[in-house]
Order: sequence, then C-alpha cells, then structure tokens
Amino acid sequence: MEIVENAPMVDVTALESVPLSTPPPVAVETRGLGVYYGAFRAVKDIDLDCVANKITALIGPSGCGKSTVIRTFNRMNDLIPGARVEGEVRFDGVDIYGPGIDPVEVRRRVGMVFQKPNPFPKSIYDNVAWGAKVNGFKGKMDDLVEGALRQAALWDEVKGKLRESGYSLSGGQQQRLCIARAIAVKPEIVLMDEPTSALDPVATLRIEELIQELKSRYTIIIVTHNMQQAARASDFTAFFNMDEDRAGYLVEYGRTEDIFTKPRQRMTEDYITGRFG
Amino acid sequence: MSDMRAGFHQEMADLEQTLLGVADQAEQMVGMAVDAVCIPDMELAARVVQLDARIDRTYLEVHDRWMTLMARQQPMASDLRMMSVILHLNTTLERMGDQCVNIAKIAQVTFGLPRSERIVAQIREMGDLVRPMIRTGVEALVRRDLDEARLLPAMDEPIDRLNRNMYKEVVDCGPDPGMLEWATRMMIVSRAIERIGDQVVDIAEQTAFLLTGEMMEFNEEGMAASDRTGDDS
Repeated sequence: MEIVENAPMVDVTALESVPLSTPPPVAVETRGLGVYYGAFRAVKDIDLDCVANKITALIGPSGCGKSTVIRTFNRMNDLIPGARVEGEVRFDGVDIYGPGIDPVEVRRRVGMVFQKPNPFPKSIYDNVAWGAKVNGFKGKMDDLVEGALRQAALWDEVKGKLRESGYSLSGGQQQRLCIARAIAVKPEIVLMDEPTSALDPVATLRIEELIQELKSRYTIIIVTHNMQQAARASDFTAFFNMDEDRAGYLVEYGRTEDIFTKPRQRMTEDYITGRFG
Repeated sequence: MSDMRAGFHQEMADLEQTLLGVADQAEQMVGMAVDAVCIPDMELAARVVQLDARIDRTYLEVHDRWMTLMARQQPMASDLRMMSVILHLNTTLERMGDQCVNIAKIAQVTFGLPRSERIVAQIREMGDLVRPMIRTGVEALVRRDLDEARLLPAMDEPIDRLNRNMYKEVVDCGPDPGMLEWATRMMIVSRAIERIGDQVVDIAEQTAFLLTGEMMEFNEEGMAASDRTGDDS
C-alpha cells in the first residue's frame, strides 16, 4: 500500500465485496454537501455513500463536522437559526433538501439517538409510544411498544414496570429506551451521535452489541470519538478532519477493517496512530 | 506533528531493538553452528546450545511485553502491522536459534566420523550464503526498504539449489558405511540451513507487509506470488 497525499478522498473499492453487478444499496448519499452557520462554513464538499443495513462510523477530531454532517440527514440543522445547507443529501435518489420535502416526514424516516440519554419525563411505555402517537398510529400500541423494547434489548428488564418513569432506569437502560423510542416509528435510518459517551464500559458494550443486531433492519450511522468503538462496531468508517479555515471535510472513507489496518491517506494513518496535532 | 502516543511508540521501538539484537545473535550462531560441523569443534557446538537458551529467554520476555502492549495500547494501522511483524519476527528468530541447535547437536553426534570434504565445502558454502541473507533481511526491516526486502528470494535460491544437490552428494558416499552415517546427518544440517534461508525470506515478507499492508509470498524475483511453487520445503 502506498500512502498518498492526494489520493481520491472516497475509496471506491470500499464497496467491492459486493459483486459489481449488484452495487450495494445506498441508504444515504451526499454530494457536494456543505453546511454554513451564518458566514462560518462548518463542513464542505462531502461526498459520502452510507450503505443500507450497514453501520457507518464517522470519526475525526473535535470540530471536524461529524455531528454537523449527520444532522443534515434528518434536517436537524434546519432548527438552528442561520444554518444553511448546500449540495445534496439523497435518500433513494431523492434530495431531502429539495422542494416539496416535508422535514417532519424526513425525521420520521430518520431516527436519532443523542450523546446523553434523554427520555421524556413520562413512563417507559409512553416514551416508546410517543412518536407513534404523534404520527397518528392506529394499530395495537401495546404490540408496538413491546416490539420496540424487544428490538432494543430492554423488554426483559422493563416488562414488569412499563408504567414507571423512564428516569427510574439506569443510564444504559435509558439509552436503550431512547433507541426503542427512535425505532418505534419504524425509521429506515438511525443516527447516533456519540451514543455511549455518557455510559460505563459494560453499558457501552451492550449498546454496541445492540447496534449490531439492529443493522439487519436499519441503516445505522454513528458519530464516535472512540476509535476502538468505530473499529469494533462499524462496517464502514469515514474519517473527517478540518482545513485551515476550520471547515470539516471527508479525508477517507472505506471498510472499517481497511481504515484501521491499512488506511490509504497519510492523514488518516497519523490520526489513528496518534501522530497527529 | 506531535506524537500523542510517544510512550507506546517508544516501547514498540524498544521491542524492535531487542529483536534486532536477537537477529544479530542468531546470525552469529549460524556461523558458529556451521563452523562446529565443518571444523569440527565440540566446544563451539556446546556454545551454540548455550546461546540458544538466551534466545529462548528473550523470546518469552518479548512475548510478555508484546501482550502487555497489545492489551494496553490497542494499536492500529501501521502500528498494528508493526506489532504483527514483531510477533512474527520473535517466533522466526526463536526457530532460527532452534535450527542452529539442531546443527550443533549433529556436530556433536558426528564428531570423529569419517567425512566427505566435498560435503563439508558445500555446507560451508551454504552457511556463507545464509549469513549475509540474515543481515540483508534485518537491514531491509530496519530501513523499511521494500526493494531490499525483495532481494531475499534471489539470495535464497542458491541455498535451495545446494540443499537439493545434497542428496546426490550423500548417495556418492554410499560405499563407505562410516562416511554414509556422517553424510546422512549432513542432509539434516543442509536442510536446517535451507530452513533458515526460508525464515529470512519470511522476515522479508513481513517487511513488505509492514510497508504495503498486503500479506504476500515472494517468488524468486522478489515479487508477490500467491503460491510459492518449486519450494523445496
């Protein structure tokens, strides 16, 4: 392997384990994605394909725009005054920033789990049922809640106390409750912004295992500061850095095993071996 | 650029340095073991066995340090590849020491038997060929020099050829039963030297892995080959 300074930023061979005749289904693709907060350009020129039913990890130093990028996938940046998005974010080929796109529908299709568990001050049951109620769910709510809690590997721990407050749970359980809440509305994509950084190591491993189980149903995109977590838990890894104007950009994207054993870019190599700064 | 993991990188460099010392020692042992057979010299043979005990101790010490570093540091990318190379090199050098012991012990059990000077000359030539190989293989690793690593298979080729030829030389000793016993043992010596040559090629392949990220088998032109055919191993 030759580490090259100016190799293409996106490793097209990253997807090569899937036969060429059947390109891997891409759940989210960005083209020329940039985000501005007022005059400040936070990220620039992001071309990224997140493969369906795989786990994509976004890594990079603080301030490189990882969280900004995933927040474009559910149009959360729309909620920030002065934020502006350029380029395209496509689901199934449709630009979610195009005319006529309803951000609320986008957010139903794209669930999100945050750094700190943030259950509502409601019962465990109502936390999970809330999204479905808001979306006018007409089916059997009990079944929906049980199904989501089972998928989140929480059912056995809470089935006898569904009416108790979500706050009564441990931090790791609260985060799994938030995952249950996110998947209860049957999204296609689940975004996770440092979902284990507030958890202890055992709860962290539990969440990582859960993510592995969930990927057969959902496309998962996770921002993490923990490189070992990216190496353990993801299928693809995207490494971001920021330029001299502090605008984040994608340095390298590829299969996780390649990124962590033989990255193509010197900058990636320096970052993951700690020769950076 | 600052090194956020300077302590780890220093410990890894120290491990490599320890192994380079072992490689030096292994190269000297090869020379001593071949001399023990060719002179012949029982004391030299005993010295080789003693030196191998030192290599074995270092092997265990390096293995412990390696395990600790892996558990504590969880290296990645070129660091991970270097740690893989260190583990492989440690095993390879330990086995090289074992081959020297095999040769030395044959020097001891064949002492006083009638000898064929043709075979002695051939064993000596093989020893003379394999020692520079060890130096070159280690140099290529130290300098992180892929081109130099690729030289090793070509250097190994005459050793393989001499080893294949040894069978014929031994058969030629047939009429003299005493010499035949000695010569038969020399086939094992020849084989041990040939294995050492292969082990140096393995080190070169590890160097290539370190530098390229690709695990490859070298053929005689030093290029990657999926299958090293014609190998007399």
